[in-house]
Amino acid sequence: MSNRPSMHFRDRAVKALKDDQMRQAVRKAVDRLSSNKDKAAQELPNWEEWREQAYRIRKHTVENLDYYLSKLTENVRKAGGQVHFAQTAEDARTIISGLCEHYEAKQVVKSKSMVTEEIHLNPALEKVGIKVMETDLAEYILQLAGETPSHIIVPAIHKNRQQIAELFSKVAGEEIKSDTPSLTAFARKILRSSFMTADVGITGCNFAIAETGSVTLVTNEGNGRLTTSLPKVVITVMGMERMVPTFEDLEAVLSVLPRNATGQKLTSYISVLNGPRRDAETDGCEKFHLVIVDNGRSHILADEEYRQALHCIRCGACFNVCPVYRQIGGHAYGSVYGGPIGSVITPLLENDLAFWGELPYASTLCGACGGVCPVKIPLHDLLLKLRQRRIDAGHTHVFEKFAFGMWRRFFKMPSTYKFAMKAASIGQKPLVTNGYIQAQLPLLANWTNSRYLPAAADRTFRDIWEKRKNSR
Amino acid sequence: MTKISENQEQEAAFLQTVANALGRDKPAGNAPSRKEAGPPVFWREQKFENEQPLEQFKANLENLTGKVMVVQNGQEATNQIRVWLKSLQAKTAMLWDHPELRKYIDVSQLGVKTSYWNADRPRKSLIETAEQADAGITWVNYAIGYTGTIALFNSGTTGRSVSLLPPTHIAVMKKTDIVPTMSTVMRDLLERRHQGSLPATVDFITGPSRTSDIEMDLSIGVHGPFRVWTIVIEE
Repeated sequence: MSNRPSMHFRDRAVKALKDDQMRQAVRKAVDRLSSNKDKAAQELPNWEEWREQAYRIRKHTVENLDYYLSKLTENVRKAGGQVHFAQTAEDARTIISGLCEHYEAKQVVKSKSMVTEEIHLNPALEKVGIKVMETDLAEYILQLAGETPSHIIVPAIHKNRQQIAELFSKVAGEEIKSDTPSLTAFARKILRSSFMTADVGITGCNFAIAETGSVTLVTNEGNGRLTTSLPKVVITVMGMERMVPTFEDLEAVLSVLPRNATGQKLTSYISVLNGPRRDAETDGCEKFHLVIVDNGRSHILADEEYRQALHCIRCGACFNVCPVYRQIGGHAYGSVYGGPIGSVITPLLENDLAFWGELPYASTLCGACGGVCPVKIPLHDLLLKLRQRRIDAGHTHVFEKFAFGMWRRFFKMPSTYKFAMKAASIGQKPLVTNGYIQAQLPLLANWTNSRYLPAAADRTFRDIWEKRKNSR
Repeated sequence: MTKISENQEQEAAFLQTVANALGRDKPAGNAPSRKEAGPPVFWREQKFENEQPLEQFKANLENLTGKVMVVQNGQEATNQIRVWLKSLQAKTAMLWDHPELRKYIDVSQLGVKTSYWNADRPRKSLIETAEQADAGITWVNYAIGYTGTIALFNSGTTGRSVSLLPPTHIAVMKKTDIVPTMSTVMRDLLERRHQGSLPATVDFITGPSRTSDIEMDLSIGVHGPFRVWTIVIEE
């Protein structure tokens, strides 16, 4: 990853809060996704049992990742595919662009993949003269706009139809109407011709299956199927934890993923790919390559407290319920993965608490994210603990350090505490209206700009207690 | 094309890193023991009435704009396809070269120009024919009642393009191939894997191609078929 934004999180958030169009679009989308999810979860009997089972499967896989990765590799090879291992983003880019050059690829079609965003694959391919077409409708829109995804399930959540029509009209050289059917039809036409001529298809991976060496793609548009059916070479890129042991397990995780992501019982297409096409087949790829990416995941794996963050199946439900995401959208996070899960994994993947340690503060700790997670990752606990780690590592703002230093000084001893409360009760007088400090104080502005600070009481609890005791 | 080499050193180092992260000296060689696998116990033990899978399949697929027509025999199935093709003003259709399709569907009565997907023609010609066809006709390996899904196993005579490239996909099945949940299909796939005959691609298809990427507005037929219409033969 490591394309660091230039501004700090606070400033990125402030900027996002001024973008009314984006905020309106995000609100509409997350409300729709969340209410669909609720309906779908109610429809499946014993939802909590499914969650528990999905959690167990993912925990077992992650805790035995070395074994299952070996198994997967062995079985992909048995099925006629090749497997490559990339410890860093750079390794992954080198391997993939090497493969493309080996096959003399001029044009690549891609289906939606967050891990290829993470390793910044497209610029690397373009640099060696390969034309890359994103084929997921949202990703295609973002590619034309030169933007990055702002949600892991609906990446162009922040764009409205007029903006999309403008982008498409530029490509078409004529006006494309902004109604959904016209926009979709245009994308279908343009992208279909790319599929017919592309040399290589690149996909992500929702779930690899260790026991068979299969790769499963979960999609709605069908571009995943086109990407793997028409080009002669297919390269699948997977984060190393994106796996389940068996077909049985696949059924369990497929029962929760689409429901939690979009509220569908199943997505339109679930494709289970087992290596390259068989000898008698005419469509499908001749060569299949699986690229397994670490890129910081082993840091998370080694950390027993945070290992569970790797259970994530990328449903995006934590984005949809998060009150912070709802307000600031995905780009303000500044990272490839936003939302609550992104705030947990980004500092760890990057191994950088000083800069990315700001993200765990993009949370109200309301716990909605942990509550909706289909594999029961306690995201809010992990966010809180990351804050603690950041402080332990000494990356605290100087004012915050000072304030808590003062607090400790006065609150340590009864006598100093008593003095502080007395002093506050007298000192605050000019600032208090109706029991709250409403005035704009220079050092407390970030608090008082958006809410009132409760005033210290006129009489302290200790005073009242003393008095009562004496009057008995 | 020559075979590109896999880097053994990178692989060993990668797996070693993973093992170390898990607190092991070297990658685990033996299968870990498991208590729980697959769907919850209640799911595996549930019972279904005889007619339930078909009823559920119909309700679920129709809910996604699909069609489910139940017919008695091959002649009725052929008639239904002809009616549908006519309503679409279709001129061409491509079919899987599947023995059951050949048995039940009389292509001479469909009223359109038909062709089969098989090795008689080269790749390019097959794909282009599928791309230009008005409808693709396939034989379903399994239909899943619980989700309204059809599962297609691809092979030399049952190409992926037929269910993917034309704007309409017509899938034909026997009623006995409709199962309650995905579990049956998963068991079959595992069985095939043990026999070394796992298909290179299995497609689970649940309704038409769709997207909500533009302002969360549902749009049908972005890359794949706009229509998924199915025929269930009761015979």
